[in-house]
Amino acid sequence: MAFTLVRRNAAAAKERGSLPAGPVAAVLAVALLAALTAAVACGSTSIPPGEVWSVVWRRLSGEAPRPGTDDLIVWQLRVPRALLAALVGAGLGVVGTAVQALVRNPLADPYLLGVSNGASLGAVVSIVLGLGAGGALGLGLSGAAFAGALATFALVWAVARRGGGFAPLRLVLAGVAIGQFLSGFTSYLVLQAGDEQQTHSVLFWLMGSLSGATWELLALPAVAVPAALLWLQARARGLNALLMGDETAAGLGIDVTRLRRELFTVTSVLTGVLVAVSGAIAFVALMVPHVCRLVVGGGHRRLLPVSALFGALLLVVVDIVCRTAMDTQELPVGVVTSLLGAPALLYLLDRRLGSGS
Amino acid sequence: MRIDIEDLHVAYAGRTVVAGARLVAAEGEITGLVGPNGSGKSTLLRTVYRHLKPTAGRVLLAGTELREMTPLQSARHVAALPQERGSDFELTVREVVAMGRTPYKRAFAGEDAADRDVVAQALTDVGMAEAAGRRFTALSGGERQRVLLARAFAQDPDVLVLDEPTNHLDIRHQVDLLVLLRAQRRTTLVSLHDLNAAASVCDRLHVLHEGAVVASGPPRDVLTPALMAEVFGVRAAVVDHPLTGDPLIAFDHRAAADEAPTAVPLETPTRG
Repeated sequence: MAFTLVRRNAAAAKERGSLPAGPVAAVLAVALLAALTAAVACGSTSIPPGEVWSVVWRRLSGEAPRPGTDDLIVWQLRVPRALLAALVGAGLGVVGTAVQALVRNPLADPYLLGVSNGASLGAVVSIVLGLGAGGALGLGLSGAAFAGALATFALVWAVARRGGGFAPLRLVLAGVAIGQFLSGFTSYLVLQAGDEQQTHSVLFWLMGSLSGATWELLALPAVAVPAALLWLQARARGLNALLMGDETAAGLGIDVTRLRRELFTVTSVLTGVLVAVSGAIAFVALMVPHVCRLVVGGGHRRLLPVSALFGALLLVVVDIVCRTAMDTQELPVGVVTSLLGAPALLYLLDRRLGSGS
Repeated sequence: MRIDIEDLHVAYAGRTVVAGARLVAAEGEITGLVGPNGSGKSTLLRTVYRHLKPTAGRVLLAGTELREMTPLQSARHVAALPQERGSDFELTVREVVAMGRTPYKRAFAGEDAADRDVVAQALTDVGMAEAAGRRFTALSGGERQRVLLARAFAQDPDVLVLDEPTNHLDIRHQVDLLVLLRAQRRTTLVSLHDLNAAASVCDRLHVLHEGAVVASGPPRDVLTPALMAEVFGVRAAVVDHPLTGDPLIAFDHRAAADEAPTAVPLETPTRG
């Protein structure tokens, strides 16, 4: 009896093709820790992993840092950057998962909601008009980007709420239309930008980059990403219900209009934060939940934390590639995610068409 | 638990779709809603499972007005099977059925043993226990509908609300589903397009026409040739079903009510 039961469970698990989330999360967490260590160790000056942890330990335990360049490189440059990659990657994984439930489309992307275009416009205005800290990548730029994101959010909200309920199609159409409108402005400003240096920093930013990482820059995502994850995790059942449809969700006791409104707010603010600190990094938010769904299934209780971990791991690894692939200069992280993401997306689309769904 | 709908008005997309409907779904009975397309059946049901709010009038659940309960409270008593089919998010059959436990769970709470038992029982009740690990979207239409019914069962409701549950099902799956419904001892409010299915399965019928209930009663009293002509615009005879004895509506598929010659006697075939 017990034997048949076990066999049946095993058969069910095999048929579903998904793995238990606990072990998957544990493996991802260990891999993330290894990737973070590698990210700090690798670079123009390589630093042994033991030395990496010894510097980090000294700093964390409050001991006086050993004088020398290792401390500077590890603690001031590479640790913040690795942590920024992890936070932004985790945030993109989480926000992608949430937006896909919000608009009920497993291939949706948070950038569909227009907020990232607003952030880009804010950033470009700051660079070109020199409102930011001398046009350099810094808090001034992030602040302008975040302001642009919030203004766009308000605009999309005003358009999407008419007709009531933030219906998925209406939300996407409002987001795409307003986003395109704003990106037209952005392009115009880039063309108008006189000097080459400005154009370069604008392009670098638009493609998505982690090169502006500082400890100060980490503060906002370090609060926003865990807070959003926790908020969403508390509503995992509501997100599941939204996948089946608004009527089903209402029948399960979910206040659908309110949940959508809150989801739209949380995902927009989080997207705004992420774009403000790293530019619009392509494809991660689209791909990560999709891949994780294939591994642990579609239920959000498991999907959200696994997406966060996988997103973090992916972006930390990609950033290592970006920093070390070329000797002379580093690549914007968005370039590599696009190059990896586009073929992966085509593969997944093909797979979906092939399965007839 | 009984449902009382009193002078219900509902506007949907700026149009008043339900205008002054009143009906009772009695405890433990299967109450059918029939009526032509656009007569307000789905809209009325949506107010019972709280997807839509009434613009006027009341929906009472065992004497308590719905709006006095939180959505979660009423969802512990009323489970719905809307006409939605879900989208492809890699959910398993088991996960879809487990959604029925939503009204009972606090934030962050996982499934406990009792939840798992309820879900397993619901899957067994609809004959889908073997499919628990399969992907929901990989199922056939009939299987999906049974899984969604199991999700409604897993909600452990006193009242089931079903919107056209037999749509898009072949005849065998229609029969299976209606048999399942009859086997339940729950108060059931169901809209059906198929008048013959409604006549066999429902204890009482309410006919909706332009947003109002124009006839109520046992199927045999309600489904008359005159009503077929007036509400549905078709010619029909009502006879006894040779196998079950239920009312059987035989439609004239050759002409609508207002096009056909009125004087054709029903007893004598006009063709030799």
